[in-house]
Amino acid sequence: MRILYHLIVLYMTIQLVWYLFREKNFWKQASLVLVLVLFLLRLFLIE
Amino acid sequence: MKTKHIIAGSLLLALTLAVGFFSGREFLSMRQDDEIFPSSGLTAKKMLSDYFPALKDTAGDTEVFIFDSAAKGGNLLIVGGTHPNEPAGTMTAILLAETIRAAQGKAVIIPWANASGFTHSDPQEGSPQRFFLETPAGRRWFRLGSRVTNPVHQWPDPTIYVNPMGQKLAGIEARNLNRAYPGKATGYLTEKVAFAVMALIQKEGIELGIDLHESAPEYPVINAIVFHENASELAAIAQMELQAEGFEFRLEASPPNLRGLTHREWGDAAGIKAVLLETPNASHGRLKGRPTISLIVDGKDKYYEQAARLGRLFVPYGPDGIPLKLRVARHLAGVRAILASFNELEPDKAIELADMPSPADVQAKGLGPFLK
Amino acid sequence: MVAVFVLLATVFKLPMGISLALSALAGSLAGGEGIALRHLVEGAFGFFDIILIIASAMIFMKVLQESGILDSLVAAILRAFYKNKILLLLTVMLLIMFPGMITGSSLAAVLSTGPLIAPVLIKLGLPRLKAAAFIAVGAILGMIAPPVNILVMIMGGGVDMPYVGLTLPLLIITVPPAVIIALWLGTKDLRIVSREEMQFLLPASLREKYGFRLYLPLLVVLVLMVLQNFRIGPIPDLGLPAIFFVGSLTGLFCGRRFNFFKATQKAMEEAMPILSILAGVGMFVQVMTLTGGRGWAVMTFLALPPALLYLSIAVSMPLFGGVSAFGSASVLGVPFLLALIEKNALITSSALSAIVGIGDLMPPAAMAARFSAQVVGEKNFFRVLRHCMIPAFLILAMGIGVLLLAPLLDKVI
Ligand SMILES: [Zn+2]
Repeated sequence: MRILYHLIVLYMTIQLVWYLFREKNFWKQASLVLVLVLFLLRLFLIE
Repeated sequence: MKTKHIIAGSLLLALTLAVGFFSGREFLSMRQDDEIFPSSGLTAKKMLSDYFPALKDTAGDTEVFIFDSAAKGGNLLIVGGTHPNEPAGTMTAILLAETIRAAQGKAVIIPWANASGFTHSDPQEGSPQRFFLETPAGRRWFRLGSRVTNPVHQWPDPTIYVNPMGQKLAGIEARNLNRAYPGKATGYLTEKVAFAVMALIQKEGIELGIDLHESAPEYPVINAIVFHENASELAAIAQMELQAEGFEFRLEASPPNLRGLTHREWGDAAGIKAVLLETPNASHGRLKGRPTISLIVDGKDKYYEQAARLGRLFVPYGPDGIPLKLRVARHLAGVRAILASFNELEPDKAIELADMPSPADVQAKGLGPFLK
Repeated sequence: MVAVFVLLATVFKLPMGISLALSALAGSLAGGEGIALRHLVEGAFGFFDIILIIASAMIFMKVLQESGILDSLVAAILRAFYKNKILLLLTVMLLIMFPGMITGSSLAAVLSTGPLIAPVLIKLGLPRLKAAAFIAVGAILGMIAPPVNILVMIMGGGVDMPYVGLTLPLLIITVPPAVIIALWLGTKDLRIVSREEMQFLLPASLREKYGFRLYLPLLVVLVLMVLQNFRIGPIPDLGLPAIFFVGSLTGLFCGRRFNFFKATQKAMEEAMPILSILAGVGMFVQVMTLTGGRGWAVMTFLALPPALLYLSIAVSMPLFGGVSAFGSASVLGVPFLLALIEKNALITSSALSAIVGIGDLMPPAAMAARFSAQVVGEKNFFRVLRHCMIPAFLILAMGIGVLLLAPLLDKVI
């Protein structure tokens, strides 16, 4: 189960990074950072 | 300016990594275990995984300290850290492990029962990660953890948690050791920890179990001995003894339909005499002011003072607060009284612990002087 | 902190999530905590599970749309119920409540069956905004209704009350409003159509081409949600994110072909505002707690004279619910439940859960309203809120009424 969730988080992290570079509006990009940090820390099982 | 958003993206990605790195370093700092210096009375140090090998090399494994004696008697289990955000429980277990010697029977001490819970903090509680005490050897730090297992170690939470006894609970309770008993060998990590403790109870022939907790001052079950019905007489005698010493304790019968709790299933499944002790701790209540280190150690809080004046609390809460030393003293007094009561009821299984610090001394001088 | 937030959000017109995060940062600086980075991130993690649920549910929604499954399902419901108005409204109400009833989450309801029933209602003449209100309020009632009410579980956890014997009180609180609201919102605008007209309204169905397969993704999601209530041998508790993912992957093979990666990008784009708001709210709450602001707020509400206690409950619980209904249940619900301890806890916690549930309509998060607006294609969720007002007050009145009548009800049930 944990592996499945790890994969889900990995997929979403990739999607978020992709979206970060696709989005043209700076504040939308900045909003995304708030979420991306969480995904990264969980991806590496830190928090 | 087609590339502008790419540059912004790169800068923001760098910011993300930086924030992740610096906060991550602080999160990871909690993976370092507290130090403990057991007394010379220690006869064996084991790991919980020695009783249930599946726990080996997991975040649920934790140290078990055994104090045995030559004299035949009963076997006692003291558990702290079932809830890692209730420091008086853990500190009492550490204090005992660093001072006692078994004169009769055997004592088994687990200070950090939910070891994984000590590796993170409860989100949105703003808790400090550790607190400090001055000891003869210098300043020592102790972790303040979360009520539940670290999600990094047990993930994800189910939407609804059906515990080993079939009780339905909110999903997060799947990480609450005090709902996971009697455990499940193939279940969640937290259930495996509970399962290992049950195996320990059997293997060490435990006859009396004490689970040390703290609760928020607005919570009715506080300053209390919560007893399994098979320990009702034991608890009643202990309460009278405590009263004579000047410690007021409530007697609370454990509701039989609240399943999965440590003392409930210790009594039901293992058949041992089981009690839970509660002291008042403002630092995990909902009315607390700033959750500082001082709130944990000195226990002063202006909102709790106000709430006490308004009659919203179940304990008196004055301007002097309820410091850690008082809470540990209460636990020590509780343990001592329960032991005395047990010895009175079952003289052939008596348990005698020597060199235990007196509650009055701890209350007066603090824990520091008794630690190593 | 609140002032900084209002300033950033209204004067500088920054996105809500960023405004919340920056005001949390300001609060931490002003409170002498410096840049409390660990606290900011830790606070945001309080909502990580919900963020994961929303993100995966949004992907599932996109999959249903892109594959043409949604249209086909709408066609099927229209065919079955177009004749009887009351039956249709009550069925639709039950449909929207169902995922909430079994998961205890209004969000799961809005995002799983919401997209299905919105087109049905709209095609039969219900104005778009009213349809959204119908979904939002139905989802909240579903969250409160038995068998699973997480709000009660959270409050019960704080006072050691087992989750047993709640079915009846929860039904008493939810069934009357559900019936009244369904009929009140729907009867006036909904039309009974002829068979020919119904045929004309039907969206393009892929039923002919793919057959029963089309229903699989939704079926899979609903069955897996129901299975959450049991622990059967090797079947693990999937949790909502994985359930939505399984549903999405099933959808890949059950309808029209589409690009999954692109669908996810669209889902992310639409979900991002609420995801960042949740992260920002988490930071905000953590800094509030860190600086003692949370304790002050809870104490202020508790310190009101007893006569004002009910008023304080009615105001503060939904208001805090604007941050998170679950958070409100934990932070305010538990102290209030303790303040009412002389009454039957089963009844009071049920009533409090209804009151706190309305919080899902409150800004800034306004989860139920926000996503139901999205489901009907409305950008400004405040326009949906207008139609939720009266139903919300009905639920609130029901909650307060049950609280006041608790001693009486205690004797009856
Ligand atoms: Zn506890």
